[in-house]
Amino acid sequence: MGLILCSLVSHSQITRLYSRFTSLDKGENGTLSREDFQRIPELAINPLGDRIINAFFPEGEDQVNFRGFMRTLAHFRPIEDNEKSKDVNGPEPLNSRSNKLHFAFRLYDLDKDDKISRDELLQVLRMMVGVNISDEQLGSIADRTIQEADQDGDSAISFTEFVKVLEKVDVEQKMSIRFLH
Amino acid sequence: IFPALKSALSEISDRSGRRPSRKQAPRAEGAAGRRRAQPCQKEPARGSPRPGSSQRKQAERRRQREELGEQGRSSAERTFEGRRKRDGRASLKEQRAPPKKEKEVPRKEEMWKRPKKHRSPSLASSASGGESLSEEELAWILEQVEDRKKLIATMRNKPWPMTKKLRELREAQEFVEKYEGALGKGRGKRLYAYRMLVAKKWVKFKRDFDNFKTQCIPWEMKIKDIESHFGSSVASYFIFLRWMYGVNLVLFGLIFGLVIIPEVLMGVPYGSIPRKTVPRAEEEKAMDFSVLWDFEGYIKYSALFYGYYNNQRTIGWLRYRLPMAYFMVGVSVFGYSLMIVIRSMASNSQGSASDGESANFTFSFKMFTSWDYLIGNSETADNKYASITTSFKESIVDEQESNKEENIHLTRFLRVLANFLIICCLCGSGYLIYFVVKRSQEFSKMQNVSWYERNEVEIVMSLLGMFCPPLFETIAALENYHPRIGLKWQLGRIFALFLGNLYTFLLALMDDVHLKLSNEETIKNITHWTLFNYYNSSGWNESVPRPPLHPADVPRGSCWETAVGIEFMRLTVSDMLVTYITILLGDFLRACFVRFMNYCWCWDLEAGFPSYAEFDISGNVLGLIFNQGMIWMGSFYAPGLVGINVLRLLTSMYFQCWAVMSSNVPHERVFKASRSNNFYMGLLLLVLFLSLLPVAYTIMSLPPSFDCGPFSGKNRMYDVIQETIENDFPTFLGKIFAFLANPGLIVPAILLMFLAIYYLNSVSKSLSRANAQLRKKIQALREVEKSHKSVKGRKTAQDSEDTAKDASKNATQLQLTKEGTTPHSASQNETPDKKAQDPGTSSSASGTMLPASRHLSIARPPGARPDSGPARPQTHPWRSASRKSAQRPPH
Repeated sequence: MGLILCSLVSHSQITRLYSRFTSLDKGENGTLSREDFQRIPELAINPLGDRIINAFFPEGEDQVNFRGFMRTLAHFRPIEDNEKSKDVNGPEPLNSRSNKLHFAFRLYDLDKDDKISRDELLQVLRMMVGVNISDEQLGSIADRTIQEADQDGDSAISFTEFVKVLEKVDVEQKMSIRFLH
Repeated sequence: IFPALKSALSEISDRSGRRPSRKQAPRAEGAAGRRRAQPCQKEPARGSPRPGSSQRKQAERRRQREELGEQGRSSAERTFEGRRKRDGRASLKEQRAPPKKEKEVPRKEEMWKRPKKHRSPSLASSASGGESLSEEELAWILEQVEDRKKLIATMRNKPWPMTKKLRELREAQEFVEKYEGALGKGRGKRLYAYRMLVAKKWVKFKRDFDNFKTQCIPWEMKIKDIESHFGSSVASYFIFLRWMYGVNLVLFGLIFGLVIIPEVLMGVPYGSIPRKTVPRAEEEKAMDFSVLWDFEGYIKYSALFYGYYNNQRTIGWLRYRLPMAYFMVGVSVFGYSLMIVIRSMASNSQGSASDGESANFTFSFKMFTSWDYLIGNSETADNKYASITTSFKESIVDEQESNKEENIHLTRFLRVLANFLIICCLCGSGYLIYFVVKRSQEFSKMQNVSWYERNEVEIVMSLLGMFCPPLFETIAALENYHPRIGLKWQLGRIFALFLGNLYTFLLALMDDVHLKLSNEETIKNITHWTLFNYYNSSGWNESVPRPPLHPADVPRGSCWETAVGIEFMRLTVSDMLVTYITILLGDFLRACFVRFMNYCWCWDLEAGFPSYAEFDISGNVLGLIFNQGMIWMGSFYAPGLVGINVLRLLTSMYFQCWAVMSSNVPHERVFKASRSNNFYMGLLLLVLFLSLLPVAYTIMSLPPSFDCGPFSGKNRMYDVIQETIENDFPTFLGKIFAFLANPGLIVPAILLMFLAIYYLNSVSKSLSRANAQLRKKIQALREVEKSHKSVKGRKTAQDSEDTAKDASKNATQLQLTKEGTTPHSASQNETPDKKAQDPGTSSSASGTMLPASRHLSIARPPGARPDSGPARPQTHPWRSASRKSAQRPPH
């Protein structure tokens, strides 16, 4: 396990993160619960915060230890310039572009069928805009989104389509959290 | 599943991306290099560098894992403390790892692998505390450096093209230079570490500096705030206002620094000559507020206006040529403004042309990328919510507009009707202004006129400016345009209204000026006679010269330039006040009324009739543009005008920001501002050009007043240039200037310019046509692709199972031979295929990243998958890794 960790984050970062981990850990039992996570402001105010928190927890568990914590957080680590160029075979870092994209994709893909359906889009939309836009309009937004992104005509967005849409977007920048520095 | 996908992907990216350069790599390094490169590439696949050492390392790792996992936090803490102690060494290694950016493949792969390999055991060894690894790494670097040196030495013999040789040479030299330091003992090593540290700090500093720069943009937060609540269209006004403020600051600096300050510091002081003294007749009232408010009295005879300046060629000990400076600053105000407007137009249009492609995925972008994961402040988050909502609304409006269909005839009729009505309004207001100006000329001849009669023109113009735009807006509702196009029409109409106003005003002013000029000759004679009589009057002792006449008693002309300056000053100030009062009454009081009277009113005020005001973009933008035109026209005759305008823009920034946030509601149909605000800029350019005309006319064809201003005594204002050339430049320069001013030279130059404009215009037109065609082609291609895929989609889904097997077989071979290619789509399809095979493990596996099984998944045939690592993430990876290394024969 040490192998992944140190390939992801630098040494001083681990120590800093560990102190962060312990300060978040109000129960002082070496694991974090969902409530602990909700105390992080970045997550508390994020419309997708609950889903991100869920991503920390393995299926069916409600505690996460330091290793699990690190593994998920590694997705958010910015890609540094000098890392971009050495993306060759072997273990890909968790903060690579495709992993970040996959992490994001799973935030939208609630039922884990590797497709983002219209209903899933609608749920996210509601979280993002609240009640300010009527349901009808939300529906048309979701329809338009799928229409734009969908390439194989199954009226859902698969991971490849998702990647294609976000080809031009700077995911590296958007999915990075500064507290890792 | 996840690791499998990843390794497959990385495998692909490796194969597809690096193949061409790999071919040249072995040649570069020779056979030895190839032999060495191969094991290095295989290492990651096996997860351990050497078969022999892998056992030891796994034992280490297992022990560490046990410590970490079973003894819990205390041991973890101990590990990290140990790490902290070794931080110095670790960070050195850490720093050494990242900067390895090399183009050549084997080198790169090795280097990338190495830090991975070394960093990982370094954690493992943090429990056991071994030092040997660092040496190993050093040995490797030494080897690499030696290699590079050899390459440099043998570079001449290689049969490469020169460009490649140069590139390779440069790379190798860079590498040697970078890492040689690390190998040296003592000082070299420390120097290397220090350099790395500095590099890292520099990166951090650059990032902080960027943040700082963003924070330094004035009012950025305010504008973002407004943008998130009111949409980009309202924000575009404020951005325009900010830009205008910047331009005016520069103009202010120019005028203030080069004209006003020198005059105040070095010119003759107030009261020394007639033009700098309040006349005797006005003296007693010169300090009254009502007089000052009209810019008469002391203000009129101050450095704020043209008339105050003396026509002395040089002033002060610097021998500063003030009249020349005055003229040049007047010209450069226009020059700078023209340049900055045109430049900003050009840069805007460049920006809009570049990102045409993103229009394909408007909604998807908004959907997936609108949230900013770095937001940690709840207020910012509220704004972000608001802005996301607004941007969705904007897109919906655009979308609805694009597929709206309606009765075309009715629309046409309504549009014609609306234009007719608006033209009537414009003519009416034009006539009204003409009428009022005529009347004011009569009033000006009379003696006691009331306050209203004196200010009638300004009042009428302000009232027109207040009432006509809402009227136009009401009429424009008939036309039913998209709000963005509607805004442009509205802007154009109000522009016409203001233009009419402005030009009537100017004509009236011109009449006034001509009247004053015709009187000038008589006044000049009177002045001469007065002075003559004063000095030659009898009854004075001839031996003692008479003290000079007190400057306040000297009769003087009306100084039309100052009068023009005062007109512009008054207009600007009254315009500013009207704007503020409108905001206060029309927006703030209305909002207060609606808000607080709503509790005790018969109907719902907020939803019903008065409601809250919307922000009037068109009116505000035009107000700003015309105000600027006023400044440009007036600044030559009233240098202080720009200062007033800077104050005005500053206050209006704060005041309007406050008013918008406190008392306005977002537009009912929020629409996105067109990406470039070139429309505003175009209007501004037009106004600039129009305001250039009268100034140029007065400078070129009217004689300056004989007793006030820097050009007094000259025939025309531009004579000052001729004078300077004759007196201060060598004679041949004067000849050259005279030659350049020859019409025989100017006319061809202008013709040439026209030709150049025509040529560039046609070139840019053809380019943009080509651009549009290419875009269309891409769009069409995309459509075709889409339909093609939807037909093929199901078919490929069926095929995927077979191809997946082929793919993994291929992958196995690839691992062994390191040659050949992997089919793209096939190994991507592998993922869903496996998922279908064992759905039970997929969910738990997707949450955890398993390094060892990641390496395995490719090399293993698909059949052997079900019992692999992902099911039991805590224990499996190491066992399967060790089994793996046992299964595979060492290469």
